[in-house]
Amino acid sequence: MRQKPPAVLVLLAVFATLISLVPIGYLLFRGSQAADQLLAEFVRPRTFELLTNTTLLVVSVTASALLIGVFQAWLVVRTNLPFRNFFAVAAALPLAMPSYVSAFGWVSLFPGFYGFWPSWLVMTLTTTPYVYLAVAASLASGNFQAEEVARSLGKNRKRVLSEVTWPIIRPAATASSLLVALYTLSEFGAVATLRFETFTIGVYNAYRSSFDRNAAAAIAIVLVVFTLVILFAERKSRGRVGNLEPHSGRRGRINIQGRFGFAGGLFVFAGLGIGVPVAALIRWSFIGTSSAEVQRLFDALIATIGYSVAAGVIITAFALAIALITLRYRSTFARSIETSVWVGHALPGIVVALSLVFLGANVFPAIYQTAWLVMIAYVALFLPNALAGIRNPVSQIPIVLDDVGRSLGQTKIQVLRKITLPIVSPGVMAALALVTLTVMKELPATLLLRPTGVDTLATRLWALTDASFYAAAAPYGLLLFLLGGIPAWLLNRQIRKTIDATT
Amino acid sequence: MLKKSAAILAVSMLGLTGCVAEEEALTLYSGRKENLVQPLIDQFTEDTGIEVDVRYAGTSETAALILEEGDNTNADVFYGVGGAALGALSAAGAFVELDQDVLDLVPEAYRSADDEWVGTSGRARILVYNTETVAEVPDSVLDLANPEWDGRVAIAPSYGSFQAFVTAMRVVEGEQVARDWLNAMSEQAVIFGRDEEVMEAVESGQVDTGMVNHYYWNRRGIEQGYDNLTSAAAFFGTTDVGNLVNVAGVGIVTDSEQARTFVEYLLSDSAQTYFAETTMEYPLVSTVEAAEELIPLDEIPTAELDLNDIDQLDRTLEMMREAGLL
Repeated sequence: MRQKPPAVLVLLAVFATLISLVPIGYLLFRGSQAADQLLAEFVRPRTFELLTNTTLLVVSVTASALLIGVFQAWLVVRTNLPFRNFFAVAAALPLAMPSYVSAFGWVSLFPGFYGFWPSWLVMTLTTTPYVYLAVAASLASGNFQAEEVARSLGKNRKRVLSEVTWPIIRPAATASSLLVALYTLSEFGAVATLRFETFTIGVYNAYRSSFDRNAAAAIAIVLVVFTLVILFAERKSRGRVGNLEPHSGRRGRINIQGRFGFAGGLFVFAGLGIGVPVAALIRWSFIGTSSAEVQRLFDALIATIGYSVAAGVIITAFALAIALITLRYRSTFARSIETSVWVGHALPGIVVALSLVFLGANVFPAIYQTAWLVMIAYVALFLPNALAGIRNPVSQIPIVLDDVGRSLGQTKIQVLRKITLPIVSPGVMAALALVTLTVMKELPATLLLRPTGVDTLATRLWALTDASFYAAAAPYGLLLFLLGGIPAWLLNRQIRKTIDATT
Repeated sequence: MLKKSAAILAVSMLGLTGCVAEEEALTLYSGRKENLVQPLIDQFTEDTGIEVDVRYAGTSETAALILEEGDNTNADVFYGVGGAALGALSAAGAFVELDQDVLDLVPEAYRSADDEWVGTSGRARILVYNTETVAEVPDSVLDLANPEWDGRVAIAPSYGSFQAFVTAMRVVEGEQVARDWLNAMSEQAVIFGRDEEVMEAVESGQVDTGMVNHYYWNRRGIEQGYDNLTSAAAFFGTTDVGNLVNVAGVGIVTDSEQARTFVEYLLSDSAQTYFAETTMEYPLVSTVEAAEELIPLDEIPTAELDLNDIDQLDRTLEMMREAGLL
């Protein structure tokens, strides 16, 4: 350890870690109440079946999201693809569509669209933007002169790709793949609608069918073990993040053959991810006799903006503290903080929500069913999303800058404020946008923890579709998509700037 | 921009904390849908002057919420669908005992054996059939497994009411009968996602018959005029489990005069009339009659069954999965 991190960072990081550990602690408590049941759950044939299904879905979705996302990013940032600006936005937009709406849209347009392949398709469409955004950002800020040097030394394109390009994008690709994998693990709405049984469905069914909290906890603990395996795999494949120099000079675009064909492919992919669910929502507007409710729509919109922006700011601040501590002051303590934050990320929303119900009602009644506990739930759920985005920018700051600052008589906090933060601010803003977007769509925790009487766009969308008021529900879905489009568009700004700057 | 968002945030945070601080209001945890419940709540407040804060979520989520909150629950009253959820909360000790004179308003079959919850309205499983293509309805739900009904029965297996019926079938007819029936359904039934879709398929002539909760047919009748319907509703012959009657019901979580007033209100003539006329459910109190298009509740040939016994849904789901229906 080089030196001690500032106390304020440690405080923030420790507090965030404690929040992240609440669901795990709750599960262990429930598990200890029913140790026999836990053991029985581990050896049940059904657990094995869920394990097979879950593995199949997580591996296939992660692989396809990684391949497609990297390819999209490369096409948009590095090649002479036509309509690059359009595709830069279109590739990120599916992120604004909640996966449960997307799944529901597919099923309502194509009855009988059930099982593994539909689940794979919808989850891939929903999660690919995570990879695309992260990799496009690293491609946009990476130093590609090495590519040109390598090519001028006679290496062919394949070797340039594997030996020069891949190492640059690898940290972003693996971090975003991890997000995709854990997102897929924790997804409920889409896989339930598309009828593919994963661990998350097992957890929900345990609550729904037998009101058995211990059985639900047992399955959730299996899920946590599964997550640990994935985290370990990611650690191994993450690769070292060097302190890269920011790019300089002009970078040429790669001329690709059949660029209009690729553009067509991207267009179809965007159409599946955005066009199909939007078409379904528009079609809802004409089903049945329910009509739009203007005042409630507006109230839900304000609540959604308030919650998601507040949560975005809080979560990003916590994530920044953790990233600074883990990357600038490497230590066992720092590493364990990061693992604790990630390990609960695959837990379904209902488990996180109920753990906070338990804690809130019984230990902190003053904040129970207030916005504060909702914020805490969002921290527990989405801290890793921010962390994944902030890690790379923070890791790329040359540490020597700290030493220079300190040697000029600045305090640690001053160095942080005057040097570190300005350098990482684009990455921080991107993380903020991503988290805000993710919070907007959140349903299960918001539904259970919200102050009585408050609705967000997502909870109202649920209530109306549950009552089959599709026409009244449609504006909520469309508004959520439009609102989510704003952060998605902001996320792309940096990438589009690069596109405009390169010739 | 930052200032503005901060302002919105401050407003929502403060506003939200403020709402919860009110002491006087009754807090209702509702697993029933807002569009069905809220008009009744508004009427209750108008009639009694008691304010009600309602938390809406699904019945099972709401039940889980009460279980996790334990002794420190914010709920005064739980109102949800299905004897299974009510039975599970009662078994966990979440409810207090209700007054005998309130319980006595409702037939024993539709309330808790421990006097801890009471049904407030009933819903029956029925067979809707297309009158142009079906001359005679089958005598038993088990007959739907016969080859003559291949491709002619619409069901919504992922819908809670259907699953409660299958659980009842397991309890009444035994596991083997239920398994055979599910396997047959998996092969020859036409599968939909919800009862509304089943209703639509039968009404439009796409499928000859369908299994739904009775009110889907009645709501359709009111919307289009009963005379214009091409479908009709029927019960199976004698004491058939296919005619399962389940309830929406209520239990008191935190005892208070207001909570007891609310439970009484749900069994009052005015609320029971609301169920009969607006949600098209069966009123459970004898002074209020069901809609005239419905067969009276006590004439439905239901099988002998304690609603508290159909709480083992996990086994049902397992069997439905094995049969390929989920």
